Amino acid sequence: MSFLPFFKWMEQLSISHTIQSGAWYNPILQVTHLSALALFAGAMLVVDLRLLGQGLTNRPLAQVSRDAHPWLISGFVVLILTGIPQLLALSMKEYYSDFFWWKMEGLIVATIFTFTIRRKASLADEAALGPYRGKIVALVSIVLWTGVTIGARLIGLLS
Amino acid sequence: MLRALFEAVANQPSSVAIRESVYGYPTLLTAHVLGMCLFGGLIAMMDLRLAGLGNLSTSCTDLQKRLFPWQMIGVAVSFSTGIALVYSDPMRFYGNFFFWLKNLLLLLALVNAVIFHQTTYRSVTTWDRDPAPPFGARLAGFLSLGLWVAIIVTGRMIAYSGLVPAWWVALKLS
Repeated sequence: MSFLPFFKWMEQLSISHTIQSGAWYNPILQVTHLSALALFAGAMLVVDLRLLGQGLTNRPLAQVSRDAHPWLISGFVVLILTGIPQLLALSMKEYYSDFFWWKMEGLIVATIFTFTIRRKASLADEAALGPYRGKIVALVSIVLWTGVTIGARLIGLLS
Repeated sequence: MLRALFEAVANQPSSVAIRESVYGYPTLLTAHVLGMCLFGGLIAMMDLRLAGLGNLSTSCTDLQKRLFPWQMIGVAVSFSTGIALVYSDPMRFYGNFFFWLKNLLLLLALVNAVIFHQTTYRSVTTWDRDPAPPFGARLAGFLSLGLWVAIIVTGRMIAYSGLVPAWWVALKLS
């Protein structure tokens, strides 16, 4: 299976040409993407730290998680909405970048993990989690999203 | 004088070494972004609470005190890698509009935090759990959110040295 035809199709879309032709489109997308990343990371880390027994330890886990959730979702939505046009504008560069595929594979795994296993653990009764499960979930979450961020940053630097 | 300092740094063998290494700049910049995630992200969680927008079930002092050590780890990473980035290629930054604007905004964010701690935060025990903190706290929260977004934006824009005002180009710094 090859994604090449799909990336070639994205490259020739008129919106892809529009984004590339305006000097300001790409920087605006990038700065919005990066700002949303900070929000997303904050909402993610406040819960991961709590799962690790750090940070807001005097608040119930599920409460910290519920408070952070709207900001996690907002950050995620903005990241996707500003990520797709960047992919459209530079689709062939992305296709031939190893870091892009690293990021995308990591992103799929991290997203599924976040909205299934991590979501369940972060809303669970802490006594039911035991001493290790929450910590393992938090560490996996941090490692996965750090990996996605590293891959993302390196697309533009080492591709 | 500032120019001479930047030029002197650029001629340091260690500066040249980072500048000419293949992985020096990408490694530093990636670590800078990761530090930003920890610092900027957790600052945002605290600011949202002060602004009365989020994390309302947690008291302001809890967020302030319990997230502080992690924010300091983030700022240590961002600050040290930021200094190293400038050290590795000072002349790239010397004439850069967004670099100086970012530094000005960093100073303003620091001033905002200090003023808030010296004024409104002194009475925090009386409004610690209020979902809507007093005006001074909400103002500090919104200002901090705005300033840190602007710092992230100008930081990213350093790469776009062509997209600067004409009057800046007329200064002929680079």
